[in-house]
Amino acid sequence: MSKTLLKLENLTMKFGGVTALNEVNLEVKEGEILALIGPNGAGKTTVFNVITGVYQATSGSVLFDGHNLVGRKRFQITGLGVARTFQNIRLFGDMTTLENVITATDVHKKSGLVGSLFGTPRARREERENRTKALEILEFIGIDEYSDRLAKNLPYGVQRRLEIARAMGTTPKLLLLDEPAAGFNPQEKVELATTIKKVRDAGYTVLLIEHDMSLIMGISDRVAVLDFGTKIADDSPTVVQNDPRVIEAYLGVPADAS
Amino acid sequence: MKNFNLRDFGADIWERSNRPVRVAIVIVVIGLVAMMPYAGAGFLATPIAAYDAVIVYPVAIFVLMSLGLNIVVGKSGMLDLGYVAFFAIGAYTMGFLGIHTSLNTWEIMPIGIGLAMLAGVMLGLPTLRLRGDYLAIVTLGFGEIIRIVALNVSWTNGPNGISGIPMPPDIGPLKFRLDDQKVFFWVVLAMILMTIWMIRRLSVRRPGRAWEAIRQDEDAAELMGVPTLKYKIWSFTLGAAVGGAAGVLYGSKNLFVAPEMFTLNVSILILACVVFGGIGNIWGVIVGGVILGYLPDRIRFISDARLLVFGLVLVVVMNFRPDGLLPRKKREKALVKKGANS
Repeated sequence: MSKTLLKLENLTMKFGGVTALNEVNLEVKEGEILALIGPNGAGKTTVFNVITGVYQATSGSVLFDGHNLVGRKRFQITGLGVARTFQNIRLFGDMTTLENVITATDVHKKSGLVGSLFGTPRARREERENRTKALEILEFIGIDEYSDRLAKNLPYGVQRRLEIARAMGTTPKLLLLDEPAAGFNPQEKVELATTIKKVRDAGYTVLLIEHDMSLIMGISDRVAVLDFGTKIADDSPTVVQNDPRVIEAYLGVPADAS
Repeated sequence: MKNFNLRDFGADIWERSNRPVRVAIVIVVIGLVAMMPYAGAGFLATPIAAYDAVIVYPVAIFVLMSLGLNIVVGKSGMLDLGYVAFFAIGAYTMGFLGIHTSLNTWEIMPIGIGLAMLAGVMLGLPTLRLRGDYLAIVTLGFGEIIRIVALNVSWTNGPNGISGIPMPPDIGPLKFRLDDQKVFFWVVLAMILMTIWMIRRLSVRRPGRAWEAIRQDEDAAELMGVPTLKYKIWSFTLGAAVGGAAGVLYGSKNLFVAPEMFTLNVSILILACVVFGGIGNIWGVIVGGVILGYLPDRIRFISDARLLVFGLVLVVVMNFRPDGLLPRKKREKALVKKGANS
């Protein structure tokens, strides 16, 4: 059994009187693709926001690679090795594709403002390293032909892929993908599934929010289901697919049963 | 479909040149600008005010301050309505130390810059967590606080201001004289060049990317590992440093500083230079500073109507070019080079 990379323990998130997450326990193992599914409003994106420090959990803890992430600043969490994409694309539109990724690669670099200003050897070396690494990532994701295009002018599908590439720029151990296939046609979804598998095979651990069942069943090692902020299932895709509670959450209870 | 575009035209020439040609272009341009004080005889002459004084203040000082404010407003997207405060801190540092100590302008310069930066950090730490309109209001208040403090404490001489500030000592054969301000112009020009160098250096490296990311989407930037507060404070502080330097030069040129020189109007006017010229674009900001600094003195002959005309020019230009005269727009190099189109 591979080791646990991320562990959510009794994670509760309340917004005023609304309980968005209720005592959620979740483990992500190193090197797996874990899909997080659930009906709209189930709290999936909230889980991402708590992990990445956008929200401070009301109670419970987020253990990642030996660190408790609760209470840490967002950029520090990224520095520890958690990166995410956004459900609504949030690229730096006025930057080129390459610059978007380079901006993310900066997180592990030491040189600051003074070094950059005077062009110290370290700053120059780090600039070169960033560039090389960013180009490698773009090639890996398969969007290197767009590297000098402004992000806002890219086709939609490329923007979605750039979101993943930018997140990979931070050298994460854990990659959180928030509906990466939203708005994709079936063909694009197939391509994306291949990409995500490729990302996993390259050594990244993936936690994925997605609505498209065929995509999830095709690539995930495990599926966790949230409903109204509570985890109702957590097992292999086939088991989850046939779990009556999951079917109920998605489709409701049959009329004759109630 | 090939419409002429000054930015692309200039950038094409630049990109096609090799290093010696680029150096030559830079030297020629700097040389031409340095000749500006001699161009005052013909069309450019300003009625009433002396031309060589006008191109130092307002023109060159405005350009310098606009470049400084552009780091804050243009690069990292924070609206600062109190930029005059840093200018005032620089000018008062020059005034106070100039008459109470034997330090000369060049020795006071780093102190003025340092104090302005310190003020930037002190203002930035608590307030830069705010965004947009809220930040604008707080900075506006800060600008007014500095002016009101200068008006009310005794060591600034209150409303009477500080007079008798010494001129800078001569630099070899270059002499600072009241009736011939060429040397002042060259000094400010040197500061402008240093500021441009600094901004260009930082823009293509990590701090520039961090600012750009913060400007476009602060939350996304933070989640991509950019320590946003740190870079916002840096941006604010560098802007303050340039403003402080401009203030020291201004105090030393004007020989007199008083609170009424540092009103909100100055902040707004410098912001107007930035927006008018092209927010975020160094060359646009310079053009903005030159035009808005120079125009009111050039049309001084129409006396009372000049501010009306000035306002009209602003409105008309902003209508036709809402992003400024030379807007920030990045070129997509790949499109040009590889001829790719999709």
